[in-house]
Amino acid sequence: MAGEATITLEVFRYRPDDDGEATIQDYRVPYHEHWVVLDALNWIKDHADGTLSFRWSCRMGVCGSCGMMVNGEAKLTCAVFLKDYYPSAIRVEPLINFPVERDLVISMDDFLAKLQAVKPWLIRDDEEPPGAEYLQTPSQLAQYQQFSMCINCMLCYAACPEIDGIPDFLGPAAIALAHRYNLDSRDQGQSERQEVLGGEEAVWGCTFVGECTAVCPKNVDPAGAIQQAKVASTKDWYRHVLLPWGKR
Amino acid sequence: MNRSNEAFWWSLFSAGGVMAALFMPVFIVLTGLVLPFTTAGDADLDYDRVHQVVTWWPVRIVLFVVVFLSLFHCAHRIRHILMDLGLRAVSTVLAALCYSGAAAGTVAALFVLGTL
Repeated sequence: MAGEATITLEVFRYRPDDDGEATIQDYRVPYHEHWVVLDALNWIKDHADGTLSFRWSCRMGVCGSCGMMVNGEAKLTCAVFLKDYYPSAIRVEPLINFPVERDLVISMDDFLAKLQAVKPWLIRDDEEPPGAEYLQTPSQLAQYQQFSMCINCMLCYAACPEIDGIPDFLGPAAIALAHRYNLDSRDQGQSERQEVLGGEEAVWGCTFVGECTAVCPKNVDPAGAIQQAKVASTKDWYRHVLLPWGKR
Repeated sequence: MNRSNEAFWWSLFSAGGVMAALFMPVFIVLTGLVLPFTTAGDADLDYDRVHQVVTWWPVRIVLFVVVFLSLFHCAHRIRHILMDLGLRAVSTVLAALCYSGAAAGTVAALFVLGTL
């Protein structure tokens, strides 16, 4: 690489089957103005060190696979350019608040369990599938559309200062997606989801710090969704206390 | 069915936040700045006049609601700050201390406003 511009990536390494020690390894990577951090990681994988493990797929901010900590901030590595850091070194680490499986790969098990628990799909009482689409007006679509943009990249979990200390807190994306279906005019599953959302810490672990919304690459505003979910849980609580004989 | 009682405390917190944001700045500006420092306060701002205003029942009720909800807003916020600072293990004790403090303040406000 004589004469070629380079940039240093300080990459978090952890191989449990090898030495089991977490370390930082430096790699000198060719610098190109149009390269993103993910391009640099792929260059390392292809040319410098084939043992480096990380998740990625679409390279265009759609799949949500390549979330990592870039200089301490939760980012999609396909969306951060080397030029924004050059000539300084860039530190790349796995998303925080998750167990690390290997190198930059985190374990998603807890998140996926929480996501599944809130039933993020259309629930209908009358299940004979309809012969045609459920119709929806533009204003009904606008109710939930913003929250449907979530790509499950989990940056919001890495940014949340509460999630780590409160295991039962469902966290931003799961609540935003539960809320997305509760707001959908085609859905009839709110009371089923409330079983989970009404739990002790489920939504109440949030103290409205707002970092989830700040890091969201799809502008979903999970913090807003959580506050609206708190209002819904509060209404449910009062309805139950004041009208215990009424419908849930 | 899971129903956390946190919903109740949060509703007081939330209502208190609205009250505090809506009324407190107005009260502070009026009684702390406009009336003492501008000519708007020159007209008869004496004890009798203020007493007359505050003892009017609608004003007593508004003041009580603002004080009561703001106190519970503070209590809830302080409790959660302390939990975030590492006292989550004793959150029940914190809740008892914070909310009973707010309740004591509410009783005091009721007494003061009722006996003016």
